[in-house]
Amino acid sequence: MVFSCIPFLFFFLPLCLILYYAVPFSWKNGILLIFSLIFYAWGEPLYIFLMLFSTALDYTNGRLMERFGTTRCRRIFFLCCSICINLSILAFFKYADFAVISVNGLLGTQFARPGVHLPVGISFYTFQTMSYIIDLYRGEVKAEHSYAAYLTYVSMFPQLVAGPIVRFSDIQEQLHDRKLTWAEFEHGLLRFMMGLFKKVLIANQAGALWEEIRILDAAETSVATAWLGALCFTLQLYFDFSAYSDMAIGMGHMLGFHYNENFNYPLTAVSVTDFWRRWHISLSTWFRDYVYIPLGGNRKGIPRHLFNIAVVWFLTGLWHGASWNFILWGVYYGILLMLEKYVWGKLLAKFPKVLQHAYAFLIVVFGFVIFAITDFGELGGYIGLLFSFAANTLADTRFLWYLGNYGAVLAAACVLACPVYPWLCRKASALSRGKGTVLSVFAGAGMLLLFLLSTAYMVSDTYNPFLYFRF
Amino acid sequence: MITNVTIKRAVVCLLCIGILSLSVCLLVRPKKEFSENENRYLTKFPSFTAKALLDGAYTETLGDWLADHFPQRDFFVGFKSGAEIACGRKEINHIYVAEDDYLIESYAKPQNTERITDTLVSFYDKVDTSKVDVNLMLVPTAVTVYSDKLPAHAPLSDQTGTAAAIYEASGIPAIDCTDRLLDGASQGQLYYRTDHHWTTLGAYFGYLAYCDAKNMTPVSLDTLTAQTVTDAFAGTLYSKVNDYSRPKDSITIYTNPGDDLTVTYPDTGEVTDSLYNLDYVTEKDKYSLFLNNIHPLVEIENSAASSQDALMLIKDSYANSLVPFLAHHYRKIYVFDTRYYRDGPSSFLEEHSDITDVLILYNMNTLDSDTGIRGIY
Repeated sequence: MVFSCIPFLFFFLPLCLILYYAVPFSWKNGILLIFSLIFYAWGEPLYIFLMLFSTALDYTNGRLMERFGTTRCRRIFFLCCSICINLSILAFFKYADFAVISVNGLLGTQFARPGVHLPVGISFYTFQTMSYIIDLYRGEVKAEHSYAAYLTYVSMFPQLVAGPIVRFSDIQEQLHDRKLTWAEFEHGLLRFMMGLFKKVLIANQAGALWEEIRILDAAETSVATAWLGALCFTLQLYFDFSAYSDMAIGMGHMLGFHYNENFNYPLTAVSVTDFWRRWHISLSTWFRDYVYIPLGGNRKGIPRHLFNIAVVWFLTGLWHGASWNFILWGVYYGILLMLEKYVWGKLLAKFPKVLQHAYAFLIVVFGFVIFAITDFGELGGYIGLLFSFAANTLADTRFLWYLGNYGAVLAAACVLACPVYPWLCRKASALSRGKGTVLSVFAGAGMLLLFLLSTAYMVSDTYNPFLYFRF
Repeated sequence: MITNVTIKRAVVCLLCIGILSLSVCLLVRPKKEFSENENRYLTKFPSFTAKALLDGAYTETLGDWLADHFPQRDFFVGFKSGAEIACGRKEINHIYVAEDDYLIESYAKPQNTERITDTLVSFYDKVDTSKVDVNLMLVPTAVTVYSDKLPAHAPLSDQTGTAAAIYEASGIPAIDCTDRLLDGASQGQLYYRTDHHWTTLGAYFGYLAYCDAKNMTPVSLDTLTAQTVTDAFAGTLYSKVNDYSRPKDSITIYTNPGDDLTVTYPDTGEVTDSLYNLDYVTEKDKYSLFLNNIHPLVEIENSAASSQDALMLIKDSYANSLVPFLAHHYRKIYVFDTRYYRDGPSSFLEEHSDITDVLILYNMNTLDSDTGIRGIY
């Protein structure tokens, strides 16, 4: 179930919140758990048992590590047990098909494909449970004694299928003690609505145009159209993904939880390094804390540092999907990060800011072309179109046609991809009382109008994809 | 941005009330089976089976059901289209929002040209052309005839080129009405603003092209009785765009007072003396009033016809508004809808030696998108 659909917004969420607020505190986790399981079962009725197994395993391992982990040796044993089983589950359900196809392709063998259907959200919740067991090994969290509370943490529907990847250490206290206030609820609902608008009114529109451009014949695609397509996919992915995080964070507030921010205007980054501090923050910090730093980070000499970057970005690419294009996408960033660290990073910082933004933006947009197209033949063709300055026309009437049809949405997207909204909020809070009230009335009316419009889009059953089924 | 605490609270309350009242309305209000505006049956409540639950079909249909029976669905669907058009969208669901309030269906790149020509060739090969005069008429749609009304920069696909290729490859003598229609464009409305069909006037220009090719003297429009039967026709394009603020069409029908018609519908056994069923005027799909909607075979006899010839008309719905003009010239017309006529008109032709003429008529859009023409052989 996506958040931006009628069953979720008009039935699941209100029912969940009403019950959640109606019951005494000690029951709240239970309500949340039941609704989370229903949420997951709505789309994945069978794989819910896989999630139950995975959580039971880590919970048990945690208890065992607490009870018997008196020596470092034993703790490592429990840690390895948990990580091996988690990674095996992930490898089987997510990468088995990919591995078999790749081996067949490389060696010319004819192994049958296992044909495993990927469970939604498995990469997110596996990483969450692993963060728990690793933090426990490091002594950064206490073992959770309540299986229900632990399962609630893993399965919590706001962040179950599309992140952010919440660490147990960030949320353990809140699981047992949190405050529900009306102000928090208001804040959360408005944040959720912002996410809904971003997803329904911007991401889906940009995505529809991308789908249209992508299937054009090469002869119909001018260079400008190809870049417009790439821009559309970039905007779609950013607005879709950050919208999910907004909605998750918003629902978290409504339920009394505080999740960390996951996106910080990544399209306005000034370098690739900067981009990855701003894009899917919960994933990049996960890899930083659990892979990059344990490998030694940048503290063990240049060759080792390069190796560490290579490992982390290979894994980052692989995490996004069982397909070579995602690995290529990760490697692309790995190489660019190495180059920024050791070749042109310092030089780049001396350039005018506008050039730095342009540099990072172009790299990001081009990178998402690699991300978008899983088939290498099609990918090569599309990249060819982006740079076919000699062969194709630079711009044609079709480009103008798309611009005319989607110009308003794309313009809004480009403005909102910059930190305009927080700037407006700061300005608004500095206004006099009277002016602030006037602005509030307009902003509130706009909010209600956008809610009606989003509802109209959901009712009309238009293009409303779930992009993270590969994650 | 909402800095005022009271206003923030009011907005949140309104959002909550809005969500809850819509969901309660959805559950308690009576459900419709059919959407007139969208011209389709709405999703039925899914029946529960363990299999459907496990493969996700149950929850998916349930989601569709909720969307289809959402309170004030027509308002929301129209609001969305209206907002899109206001934001500069000129194409919705492959329909161009064109000038002079026209909605014009775009012409998708043809996919089936080869298969269509093969079918036509097979049909034509079996006809004894010394006895029967066969013609093929591929009618351009509004996207070609009204190309000057299309929004700026709209991508064009070449209907004329596709039609020319089919004419040539099939070998069937062509009747091209494109020029007649282009000439006629200044003389009135040739296509409906809200529907994918040509108007009766458009069909009349098609009839003129037919008469040109067959050396027949056309009946002048002035000698026919014109009757405007409705001015509230909201056609298929209207239902795909769903901008309910758009003006609707009127339908004018022509009857020849000199004709004496007997119209037989073998599938229902019905016999009338009119080419129109005006009961459809009160329904959504008003174009169905021509030739009483869809029938595999209609037989039309005109005892006051100008000749003793018999025409076999193999066609799509475009022909339904052309038949009233043709009827004057033929003692008998057999009208085939090849989507529903199962036995193949080819063998019908062999069994009916009275047939002197065959006209195959399709419009360029349904020719490719509809599988109907495959039924001719």
